[in-house]
Amino acid sequence: MRDVVAGYGAVRILHGVSVEVREGETVALLGTNGNGKSTLIKCIMGLLTPDAGEIYLESDGARIDLTKRSTEEIVDLGIALVPEGRRLFPRLTVEENLLLGAYRTGARADIDRNLPFCFEAFPVLRERRRQLAGSMSGGEQQMLAIARALMSSPRILLVDEPSVGLAPILVTRVIAKIRELKDRYQLTVLMAEQNFNQATKIADRGYIIVHGRIEFEGRSTAELRENELVKKYYLGV
Amino acid sequence: MFTWDLLANAVVAGILLGGFYAAVSLGVSLTFGLLDVVNIAHPAFVILGAYAAYVMNSSFGLDPILTGVLFTPLFYALGAGVYRIYYSSFERRGEESLRGLVFFFGLLFIIEVALSLKYGVDYRLVEAAYIGKSIDLGGVGIAFRLLVPCVVGLLMTLALSLFLSRTFYGRAVMGVSQDQVALRLMGANPVRIKTIAFGIGIAAASLSGALLITISPVVPSTDRDYIGRVFAITVLGGLGSVGGTLVASIILGVAESLMATLFGPSWSLAVSFGILLLALAVRPAGLFGR
Ligand SMILES: Nc1ncnc2c1ncn2[C@@H]1O[C@H](COP(=O)(O)OP(=O)(O)OP(=O)(O)O)[C@@H](O)[C@H]1O
Ligand SMILES: [Mg+2]
Repeated sequence: MRDVVAGYGAVRILHGVSVEVREGETVALLGTNGNGKSTLIKCIMGLLTPDAGEIYLESDGARIDLTKRSTEEIVDLGIALVPEGRRLFPRLTVEENLLLGAYRTGARADIDRNLPFCFEAFPVLRERRRQLAGSMSGGEQQMLAIARALMSSPRILLVDEPSVGLAPILVTRVIAKIRELKDRYQLTVLMAEQNFNQATKIADRGYIIVHGRIEFEGRSTAELRENELVKKYYLGV
Repeated sequence: MFTWDLLANAVVAGILLGGFYAAVSLGVSLTFGLLDVVNIAHPAFVILGAYAAYVMNSSFGLDPILTGVLFTPLFYALGAGVYRIYYSSFERRGEESLRGLVFFFGLLFIIEVALSLKYGVDYRLVEAAYIGKSIDLGGVGIAFRLLVPCVVGLLMTLALSLFLSRTFYGRAVMGVSQDQVALRLMGANPVRIKTIAFGIGIAAASLSGALLITISPVVPSTDRDYIGRVFAITVLGGLGSVGGTLVASIILGVAESLMATLFGPSWSLAVSFGILLLALAVRPAGLFGR
């Protein structure tokens, strides 16, 4: 995305944001509360239309303008989001949630491969496949949200704050899982996180967003760790 | 005079009636239970389906239930169109609660008046070889005019339940009122999903209308007998639960049939609501609500 400007009504949240994610990379989008991480992700998914700037997907030499596409069309291109707040269907079972994840035409044929894989990656989901999603614990729900996104056979996985509301040990597990899934599926991952230490465990590189502007672009996790902003906001140095 | 035979007959008739009630209620279970659309015009579409069966039967001698099946695509399209109007006029603007109710009430009224103007207020009925026939199982009579609608009702229940649990559209219908943004993130367009579901609901209404006129003669205002009944069944079954709708329908059918046998038919609607209130006091989510 280049020079994206976006907001809600008259309130401008993103002031010309440029972010690039190349194929096969894991990129972290770091920022504390209210700096615009989720807003940026909503723009990519077509849930919010930018006021200016461009967002495009380049694949097989074609260049697709995402700002002109609906959310459904963007999902059909193979982009999946694990949204903030998980957004499961609370009164559907675990299995029904997963199968809805495979709604897009490109994913239906892969169910026989994807469903066993999700159950293997998150065994608790297999045990609870008939349980209503709304009655699962927070950690289980987060795993279900990730698994549901994988059911759509994505090429690109967007994850909005997977660590929110989870105990540290679960955060470590969920982050490690994302890494594992990425390797296995050859995914491209963009992950919004506040938890710097966890995010940099699996990220190749990252951006730091402050008040709707990219304040720093780290070409490696080492570079991120050395940055003054990071030291100030995240590491408490 | 009370006899065991009388009781057995009432129970069997009630079960058969229940299968038909399920057919009438399925559409509401779908639109009200799963889409949160308070379609009180549903019984008017039932009556419209009944008159379609009447017209085809009296003009061409077509079997009422065959007409019902043949007309489902037409009523599906009608339902889809009605939902589009409702959506763009009310739901999209967030005005669905009160104004939407007025919209459907108006629709109910218009359909009823239009039918009265065209066909008058005389009772209309259909003719088919099986109407009037019955089989006798050891003192318990099974009338075909009740048996056939019951079987069709059971088939409709089965079909809808398979649609919801086995198809991608069906699962999307179950999720659409829970989180529309999430549904879009699955790649499904909520408005499209609701349009399909509403179309199916109206198609089911019209088919159940063909069953209705097979059971007993119909006038345009017959819809009023069903407004309370179908919503009572839907709520009692647990909103959006197809299996629950069937069970609630049979409970209501048997209860009404017993009351009619023991105390006279004027009790039947009071029974519906009596059971509903009692059940909700014990189990607010209905019998099979999630
Ligand atoms: N729907 C909305 N309407 C109006 N303002 C909004 C809306 N959503 C977010 N905002 C505002 O936009 C700003 C950025 O929000 P955003 O959700 O993008 O932050 P974030 O970086 O994801 O934060 P967090 O880590 O808390 O999730 C906040 O000030 C927020 O109040
Ligand atoms: Mg956020």
